Parts: sequence; structure tokens; C-alpha cells
Amino acid sequence: MTSDLLVVTAVVGLSASAVGATAPLRIRTHISVALTIAACASGFVMAAEVLHTGDVAVVHTTALLPLSGLSMVLDRFGALFVAVSAVVGICAMLFRLGYHGHGLSSRSASCILPLFVTTLLLVPAASNVTTFLFLWELMAVSSLLLVLADHRRRSEVASAGQWYAVMTQFGAAALLVGLVLLATHAGSQSFAAIAAGSAHLPTWVRDSAFVLAVVGFGSKAGMVPLHVWLPRAHPEAPGPVSALMSAAMVNLGIYGIVRVGDGLLGGGPAWWWLLVMALGALSALFGSLHSATSSDLKRLLAYSTTDNVGLMLLGVGASGLFASTGHRTLALVALVAALLHVVFHAVFKGSLFLSASSLQQATGTTDLDRMGGLLRRMPMTGTIFLAGGLAMAAMPVLCGFVSEWLLLQAMLHGLPSSDPAIAVAMPIGVGALALTGGLTALTIVKAAGIGLLGQPRSNAAAEANEVGPSMRLGAGTLATLCLVFGVAPFLVVPSVVDAARSVSRTRISDPLVGGWQVGLAGVHGALAPGLLALALLIAVTLVAGARRVLQHAPARHTRAWGCGRELQTATMEYTATSFGEPLTRVFEDVLRPAHDLDVSHAAESQYFVEAARFHTSLDDAFERHAYRPASVGLGRWGALARRVPNGSIHRYLAFGLVALIVVLVVAG
Amino acid sequence: MWARPVVLPPADPGSPEIREAALRNRGSLQLRHVDAGSCNGCELEIASIFSPVYDAERFGMRLEASPRHADGLLVTGPVTRNMADPLRKTFEAVPRPRVVVALGDCARNCGVFREAYGVEGAVADVVPVDLEIPGCPPDPQTIITALRGLAGT
Repeated sequence: MTSDLLVVTAVVGLSASAVGATAPLRIRTHISVALTIAACASGFVMAAEVLHTGDVAVVHTTALLPLSGLSMVLDRFGALFVAVSAVVGICAMLFRLGYHGHGLSSRSASCILPLFVTTLLLVPAASNVTTFLFLWELMAVSSLLLVLADHRRRSEVASAGQWYAVMTQFGAAALLVGLVLLATHAGSQSFAAIAAGSAHLPTWVRDSAFVLAVVGFGSKAGMVPLHVWLPRAHPEAPGPVSALMSAAMVNLGIYGIVRVGDGLLGGGPAWWWLLVMALGALSALFGSLHSATSSDLKRLLAYSTTDNVGLMLLGVGASGLFASTGHRTLALVALVAALLHVVFHAVFKGSLFLSASSLQQATGTTDLDRMGGLLRRMPMTGTIFLAGGLAMAAMPVLCGFVSEWLLLQAMLHGLPSSDPAIAVAMPIGVGALALTGGLTALTIVKAAGIGLLGQPRSNAAAEANEVGPSMRLGAGTLATLCLVFGVAPFLVVPSVVDAARSVSRTRISDPLVGGWQVGLAGVHGALAPGLLALALLIAVTLVAGARRVLQHAPARHTRAWGCGRELQTATMEYTATSFGEPLTRVFEDVLRPAHDLDVSHAAESQYFVEAARFHTSLDDAFERHAYRPASVGLGRWGALARRVPNGSIHRYLAFGLVALIVVLVVAG
Repeated sequence: MWARPVVLPPADPGSPEIREAALRNRGSLQLRHVDAGSCNGCELEIASIFSPVYDAERFGMRLEASPRHADGLLVTGPVTRNMADPLRKTFEAVPRPRVVVALGDCARNCGVFREAYGVEGAVADVVPVDLEIPGCPPDPQTIITALRGLAGT
């Protein structure tokens, strides 16, 4: 049955795409959205079935792809990612019904959006190299075209698209080389055959395949230093697309690293996983630092995606490190923590990106310094944003807390190990996780405090109206899931454990205590989020009741204290930039902010200032110090190379002759 | 070698209302200072009561940065037109029960600034005053003696 559903998902998804391309404008959106939701629903049912029963969905056909044929096998590990993509897809599509602007209604965008969602559902099912690369590229190209949907109206979109295109194609090239290397040495391109034969491959093949996979999948996941496209593409992409990219597409980067490292190669030496952990810690710190200092809402969320991907990589790396040193229980716990974070990150980041897009649609901007007071104007959207934000800051009774707690537990329990690699890596990982948690809390205080509270900072924010019901439903469903999974993680934990066990070859008994608790078998530490929620509820009731009982006089409501000023305007409020300024100052060596102060003096005397203009900007250090010099160098190289073909027919004939001679010499 | 706190006369018990406030304050008096238009003479004296010589903090008195944290206001100077509204807002911001101390002759009756064009009136014309401390400026001992009655120390 699951195999049929896989075909149904693909067919319905592609028909949604076809309808989007052909139907008249009036009905185009509704029909293609309905069909895409149907495809997601079918994908979710299939994934749930696979996760529940463990029966793999298999589809083989030689008709569609030349030479290799299309080969798809969906196991429990892939099904987890399909389920996540399906839920995010349904919510994003509901949201898309009410979302206008950004050129999403055009014929091309209506055709490509369902295609993008369908590829997100199908990539985890690919089971040979050709199918995988084909679907992967389809996903990359369709998401690129969606980022570019609005290129006619805004010029920044084209620049964001260029960055994204270069990074994603660079990653795809790395993947192509890595997977082809594996396939040629294993003698077959089917994943099952590679997995069976990978243990006997030469070490250099395994090493280079893994490193190339980390580079290729890491660039898709937004891992530092390959993250530079994220903070550019997300602010420019249409709302539902940025939610899909951040909540579903980056997951597939994690999927790939685990699939290749644990699944195809069956684990490896400690240095592989130390590399993954180091990149994860770097991503987590760099991402959270930039999201805490960024003043653009979507840029902030994009950097926080880098930060959360870093945490997932930290978990994946810790898991591999534990496995390579024989700590099998901890390896599984760390992998479960990472996968749980994949699921929960999708839920909260989806709700954050969707509600941020609602705020953008209502105010026409993503600049936090031009929002303000929106919780009063848009209570529902504001609450959704807050719920997602608190989950991201790992507040208890929301879902982010459970996965980060589990990750922390896994790393802490590795501390007593006598293995030097673990003894060095785990404290650093714990430190990175702790600092990231603090910075994330600061980020969300800033985003909610500046954007949602206070006075409106622009006319658009003062006149913002709540968005339509379908947008609230799409974002609200994900926000509700944040709470549901936070209180009752046992709804997903068993599936995640099954998924983790299906990919890693360490088959051991269930490491997690089930039921209401999330706990670790064999080591101390358990968490009962349901009881935690109950305790919180009782505490809140008690405090509220005590206030009511102990209060002498009725509460008095007066104006907020504003130093007795006559006029209290939005310009006197904290801005996102000023809120992040102390942090920018502390981390000046890392962030390298650029300041520019222009003071023009009066003509009569230089002691009188006529005008002062202060400009500050926070560029990405990697972009400025690595990518820009590289792109300038490549440009120079290109200019030099252009001298070689100078239009002379004699020279071209000589090239042909020299090439022929070289080929003859080499081949002969 | 070091300055020793001056020995002060006993507290001025004042009116029944002040004695009631003293019972309430129980030896702790947190005041928010508002300069409603003073010449800064009274401010110098206020600064000096917190100096090591007079050390008013030993009687539980402190100046607060926010009226939200204060038991009352310590107002100096005649209330100028620009400061009348801020004074009312600051008074509104103090949690009840609250006291207002008018410090110096200008705060009590506008002093030499009476009927000046920029002056709205004495402090009592703007907010209800509970305790007046006379003097231009009052010397530190007078201020402390009066405030001790309010603090109950």
C-alpha cells in the first residue's frame, strides 16, 4: 500500500504543478494548492504507515530516467523527513492561499511551487545515485526559481538568486563527485549495494566521499562557512517558500549527511565526526550571534536556521563519535536528539517564518526597526510568532526544550568517557549549546520586544491589519504543534527512535524510556514535559490566586513611566540595532561591524555642526573575508583566460592540433 | 582623620499625618527627587545630606532613580511651567500610599520667584504636599531632622 501511496504522491504533486501551469488565473491558485495539499496528505499517510509498520515503500521503473531507471525505497529514516516535509507543506500551502504579492500567482510560480513541495516529499525516498541527484537538482532548481519569483520588481532578488544558485550548484557538484566516487568503487549505484559493500572500499574513497557529502549537504543545510546564501535568499523569497526552505529543505542536508555517513558508509573514524561537530558548533555560535545582532526579521530567522542546523550537526557528530568509540547507547541517544531537533525545528521555524511573512504582508517590511506595536494590531499572528519564538529559545513546555535537553544530556553523559576525542569534544559542544541557547533567548526577546511590543515605528505598522484566516490557520497549526509536541513528546519520540535505529547499524534495545517521560535508559536523567506543564499551570494558578487573596486595594492602572516626558514617541524607543549593540561590541572581533560617521560643519565655524549622519552595518565576516576575495580572484582569472581565445582562427587551429597530439601521446 | 557623621538632634515628630507615615515607612524612606525649577541651592544641600559627614542613609533614606520604586517625592524649586506636567506625571507614577516633601522656600511659596512669568506656582498648587522644610536653602541638619520624622527613625 505504501508503494502505491508513493506513486500517488508523485502523480498528484506533478498534476498540481501541471494545473498551476495551465489553468486560468482565477482558479489556478486554489486548484494547485488543493492538489499540493492532497499530495502532502498522501505523503504524510505513507510516511506514517512506513514509520508505524516498518514496511518500506518500493517503486522501481526503468521508463522515466534513461540508463539507470527511477528507483525509490522509503525506509523509516526517510519517512521521518517525508512526514516533516508533508506537515510543513500542508501548512505552507494553507498559508499560501491568503498570501499575495511576491509574484507567486504568476503561471511559472504556480507551476514550480507544487513541484518544489513534491520534490521535498520524494528526495528522502530516492534509493540510487541517479534518482537522488535528479530529484536533488529538481529541488534545488525549483527553489531557486521560487526565490527569483519577484525579480521583476526588486533588484536585490537577482543578487540573492545569484548567491543561492552558486552555493547550491557548488554543493550539488560536491555531491555528484562524492556519490559517483562511491558508486564506481562499489560497482553499483543502488544505495543498498553501496551500503553493503562500503566496508571494503579503500579508505581514501570513504574519506573523500564523506567530506564531499558534508560539503554538499552542508551547503544545502546552511552550515557555516557555506551558509552565505541563507541570509540573502530568505528575506527575498516569498513567505511560504522561505518557510518551506527553512523548515523542510535544510532538513534534507542533515538527512544526506546521516544517510551517507551512517547509512551508506556505516559510520567512520572519529575525525569525520569531530569535523561534523566542529562545523556544527561553529554554525551554532556564528548563526546565533548574527541572529542576535540582525535587525531584519527574516535575515534574523535565516541566521537562526544556521544556528539550529549547527545544533543538529552537533548531535549527528556526537552520535558518530560515540559510535566510533563504542558508546552505542549514547550514539543512538545523540542521533535521536538531532533528529528530534530536525522535527521540532521544522515545526517552530515554520510557524516563525509563516508568521513573519504575515507581519511582512501587513506592514510591507521585514525591518524590525519599522515594526512595533504589532501584538495589539495583530494579536493572533503575534501570539503565533511568540509561541514559535519561545520554542526556538528552548523554553520548557514548548518543543525546542525537549530536543535541546536531550542533546545536552547525550553530550553530558559522554563526559566521563576516557576517550580523549570525546573528553575534548563534548565540553566544547556543551559550551557551544549553552552559549547558543542564551543568544537565541536574546534574539527572540529582541524580535518580539522590538517588533511586537512598544509603539508603532512607522505608519504602515500603525495601520497594520490582521491577516486572513487561511494564513492564520497555516501558521497557527504549526504553533499549536510546538505546544503539543512540547507537552507530549511521546507522540513523536518513538517514531524518531525507530527512524534513528533504521539508519544506524547499532541495533540495541530502546534507549529512551517511553510513556509520559523522555528519559535515557542505562544513564540517569529523565524529563516529563507533561508533568512540567502541569506544574507550570498549578504554579501560575497559585500565584494568580495568591495575588487575588493577598491584594489590599484594587489594582491601579496608570500610564507607563516615561520619565515624565510630555511626548512619548517611537523614536525614543529601543531599536533592534541598539538592542543588539552591546552584543556587537562584546563580539567586535568576530562580527567586525563597519561604522561610518559623517559630520558636516557650518561654513562659519567648525565648532558648529550642521548635520551628522551615522551609518552602521554588520556584514557576514565569511562573506567579506572569504567569498568576496574569492569572487574577485575568479573574476581576474576569467579576464586572463579571456585573452587566450582572441578570435584568431590560426590560434584555434593550433589549439586543435596541440589537443590532438596530447590525446595521442596520453592514449598511446 | 576621617570625617565622622555629625551628631544630630532627635527627629522632628511633626503632625499626626507625618507620624502615621512614619509608622508605615518603618525606618525606610525611598524618595524620588524632582527639580521643578530650583536654583540648585537645595540640590547642593540634598547632595550633602548623603555625604559621609551627615550620612542620611544611616536613617534609612535613599534617593531612587524611578518613582515606581519610591515612597514619595522630594520636590525642590518653584514649579515652572515646563515642569508642572512632568511633576504631575511623576506624582501619578508613585505607588500609593505616597508622600510629597516640598524642600526649600521656593517649593513652599515660590520664594524670590513669586509671580515670575515662567512660574506656575508653589509645589502645593500642583500636587498635595505632606511635609514642608523651610530654608533658602535649608541646612542639612534641618533636612535630615524633618525627613527622620517621615522615616520613623
